[in-house]
Amino acid sequence: MFSIATRVCIPLFLSLLSPLAAAADITATITDASGKPVADAVVAFYDGKTTALPAGAGARIVQKNKLFNPRITVVQTGSKINFPNEDTVRHHVYSFSPAKKFELKLYSGVPTDPLVFDQAGVVTLGCNIHDSMVGYIYIVDTPFFAKTDDKGKATIKLSNGQYSYQAWQPGQTKPGAEQKITIEGATEVKITL
Amino acid sequence: MIQFKHIRSRIAFTFLTVVVAIQLAGLIPLKYALDKHANQLAEEQINVGERVFVSLLQHNTQSLKQATQVLAADFAFREAVATNDAETIESALESYQGRIHAQVAYYISNHDDLVIGTADNQTALFGPNAKADAMQSIVDNQSGMLKFDIVDGKPYQLITVPVKAPDVIGWIVMGFAVDGRLASQIKQLTHLDVAFVQKTPQQDWQLISGTADPALSNLLVKTVADVYRQKMSLHRVDFNDQSYHLKIRSLHQAGDEALLVVLQGSVEPFIQDLSLLFKSMIVLTLVGVCILAALIWYVSRKTTEPIAALVKEADYIAMGDYDKEIQVNSIDEIGHLAKALNSMREAVLQRTLRIQRLAFNDELTGLSNRLAFIQGVHQALLAHAESKQKLSVIVINIHRFKPINQTLGRDFGDDLLRHVGQVLKQNVFSEHDMVARLDADEFAVLLQHTDQAQATRYADKLLHVFEQPVSVQGQAIDVRTGIGISLYPDHGMNEEALLNHAETALQESKAKKSPWIVYNTALEIDQSETLTLISDLKEAIQHDQLLLYIQPKIDVKTRRALGGEALIRWVHPEKGMIFPDQFIPFAEQTGIISDITNWMLLRACQVLAGFRKQGLHITLAVNLSTRDLNNMELPEQIAHLLTSHGLDSKALKLEITEGSLMQDPERAELVVKKLAAMGLHLAIDDFGTGYSSLAYLRQLPVQELKIDRSFVMFMDKNSGDASIVKSTIDLAHNLGLIVVAEGIENEFVLNQLARLGCNEGQGYFIGKPMPEKDFSVWLQRWEGQNEIDIDIGDDLSYAINPLDVDVQKDPFKLDNLN
Repeated sequence: MFSIATRVCIPLFLSLLSPLAAAADITATITDASGKPVADAVVAFYDGKTTALPAGAGARIVQKNKLFNPRITVVQTGSKINFPNEDTVRHHVYSFSPAKKFELKLYSGVPTDPLVFDQAGVVTLGCNIHDSMVGYIYIVDTPFFAKTDDKGKATIKLSNGQYSYQAWQPGQTKPGAEQKITIEGATEVKITL
Repeated sequence: MIQFKHIRSRIAFTFLTVVVAIQLAGLIPLKYALDKHANQLAEEQINVGERVFVSLLQHNTQSLKQATQVLAADFAFREAVATNDAETIESALESYQGRIHAQVAYYISNHDDLVIGTADNQTALFGPNAKADAMQSIVDNQSGMLKFDIVDGKPYQLITVPVKAPDVIGWIVMGFAVDGRLASQIKQLTHLDVAFVQKTPQQDWQLISGTADPALSNLLVKTVADVYRQKMSLHRVDFNDQSYHLKIRSLHQAGDEALLVVLQGSVEPFIQDLSLLFKSMIVLTLVGVCILAALIWYVSRKTTEPIAALVKEADYIAMGDYDKEIQVNSIDEIGHLAKALNSMREAVLQRTLRIQRLAFNDELTGLSNRLAFIQGVHQALLAHAESKQKLSVIVINIHRFKPINQTLGRDFGDDLLRHVGQVLKQNVFSEHDMVARLDADEFAVLLQHTDQAQATRYADKLLHVFEQPVSVQGQAIDVRTGIGISLYPDHGMNEEALLNHAETALQESKAKKSPWIVYNTALEIDQSETLTLISDLKEAIQHDQLLLYIQPKIDVKTRRALGGEALIRWVHPEKGMIFPDQFIPFAEQTGIISDITNWMLLRACQVLAGFRKQGLHITLAVNLSTRDLNNMELPEQIAHLLTSHGLDSKALKLEITEGSLMQDPERAELVVKKLAAMGLHLAIDDFGTGYSSLAYLRQLPVQELKIDRSFVMFMDKNSGDASIVKSTIDLAHNLGLIVVAEGIENEFVLNQLARLGCNEGQGYFIGKPMPEKDFSVWLQRWEGQNEIDIDIGDDLSYAINPLDVDVQKDPFKLDNLN
């Protein structure tokens, strides 16, 4: 994971150097090997610049009906995430993922402190009580990311410039291969996972 | 077809055969079906066993899986895995492996090729296929299949459980050895023997473990190898005379590796069970057949018993016991048969009575027949034996019945017999006396309780009755009888002897012309002698024991010797001289008479030839019998004799009796005519004793008539006889016949005959029968005597030397008389 992060830094840096132009709509279509659109896949664009995390940036992963909601949460590095339990039963949320190892021992309601995810990578969430509960947190070092809809399409506004991008879907421990792209106006990107 | 002595055997045999056949027809397919069923059961058992086996393994798998899942779900273990804490993982696996009795345990990471195993199995874990195997294991386990594998040359059942955090991050694989423990566990549940057999690239088929006899298990290895090659799952193998069904199931197969489980079910227990059933069936069959046999025996016996009873009744009838009426008790076929037997019995009885009537009765006269008479005498004898009283058997014969029958007709003869029978019956003394007709003209009378005096009185009564002519069919006929009497116990102790003796007496009565004769033993001796004489007679002819005697014959008027009658004498070597009346009758009966006649003719010719040589021209008369007259060759034989002795036909005279002519008149007439045609001189002998009339004789070519001595002998004393002789002579002369008188015993008679015109004579006065050599002596003496007589001056007008007499010039030729 660390090596990937290093590799991503350079294009990001490069993209930051280029002058910002007008923002453009980028539509990414993610399909699997057989060409079927993949929903809930994440595409992240890197412009090579370090973009500061907006203050108060964070997310909520609610446990409701013995499900993590949302199932897939994408955040920028350093974001804080709350895990409120809206079920009447208690949960024991844990992660053995290297990006963020944690354990929220049997609780209900909202744990007092949100957790900070300051390392890029994939965190797989589980509940030690309810094996069927699976959730993913995808932590990226960029503010440009989007999730595909049911048709495998994700839309993002990006300024023209040089970018690199990677796609990921749950089950993958690592993002897909890094691609480079120069954006000048609305662009459609096709990614095959 | 088998022959049965009894109907019930046939019934029993037939039914039992059918029953046994039906039973066999049932038992044989049953046996086949039972065998098939036993095999089906064994197959079923093995199929069930297989399902149980599979189910057991799945159950085991499930519980092992759950146990393994406990480890996989353990938070601490997952943490150790997530943090790649190899040492902790290994120690956890080790402790868990012990807890669930697994022999192999390892963890395979999902992300990288990390494989952590317990110390013992390290070498097996790092194969190139380890991960692929694990993946396959997962797929298999999830689809409910069982995963087996050979790890380090040993077979294991592998249980693979994912480790989730919460995504699958790796797998725990637990291996359970396929060994004797598993085999016995399966056996306990399925009651089947189990064997595990495996093959690895390094080693050919080998037995891992087996619950059966090691020898059988080893045998299985070989069989399984073959079966596996042919991709079959079911098989049969025979071991120690037992048949085993095999079910082979592949547990694992990859490349050269294979692990098989072989379930073995013996057919034997099922066969034993079923053969017990089969044996029971056989026993039941046997018992059934026995019961049926007894039943059949009983029923057929019930059926045939009345038949046997009827057979017994029929036997009674067969034995002549007609008195018992057969009891008819049933209305079925047996009853019908009994009725039929009854009517048969009645019919047979009637027929028997009729046959008895025929057998014991004389149809013609209505009297008893010979058989009945003999029985009657027998019965009477039985009664008399106790009372020691006498009884008499009288046999009566009608003289000359045959000629009467022939001349007056058979109807007449029958009526005569009936009449005589009636006469006999009317004169018996008591109703117990018995009259029977023995033969054609022979009757027999049994007089009970009679002595000789009474018997002769009866005979005299009969004679008295028959003194008067009997009237039959309007004709009067004289009946003359011969009567023989025998008495019990004087003349015989049984019916045969009495009847024979009475008949002997009858013969004697006929022979001696006595009215009746009472049997005496002297008669018997004569008779028995006769028999030996007959055989001796044949020899006598051959050995010259016979002699020719000549009784001289003279001319009554001139007293000239004319010749003689040739007579026969028999000089028996033991008995001495035997007279012809002692053997001629029997010679006639037996046919020897022909030989005697031939002998006589020959001797006569010889004698005549001898006299001729001496210059004596005399004639000889030879008697011919009935048989001779029936001999058509006789004329030729005589002609031959005459020519061979150089004699003319006048030298020989032939004498025939009336009786001999009557036997076969036509034939006799032919012979007689032939002889006459030859020029032979024929004479009727014993004239007056027969029935022949002169009218009949006239038709015959005879020249001479000899008056029977019975008329001549006493004609000097009996005027009746004399008148008969006279009228006979007259009649004969009228018919142109020469008359010869026999039995001249004194000179008075001779003279009397001469006066009556008799032509020739013979008798004791003239000369007794004498041997031929004496005849010439007699001749000389006779001639001399007569010369003396002439000298004395008797009434004889001439004396001629007979030697000078030419017989040819007989003065009494027929033409002379006419």
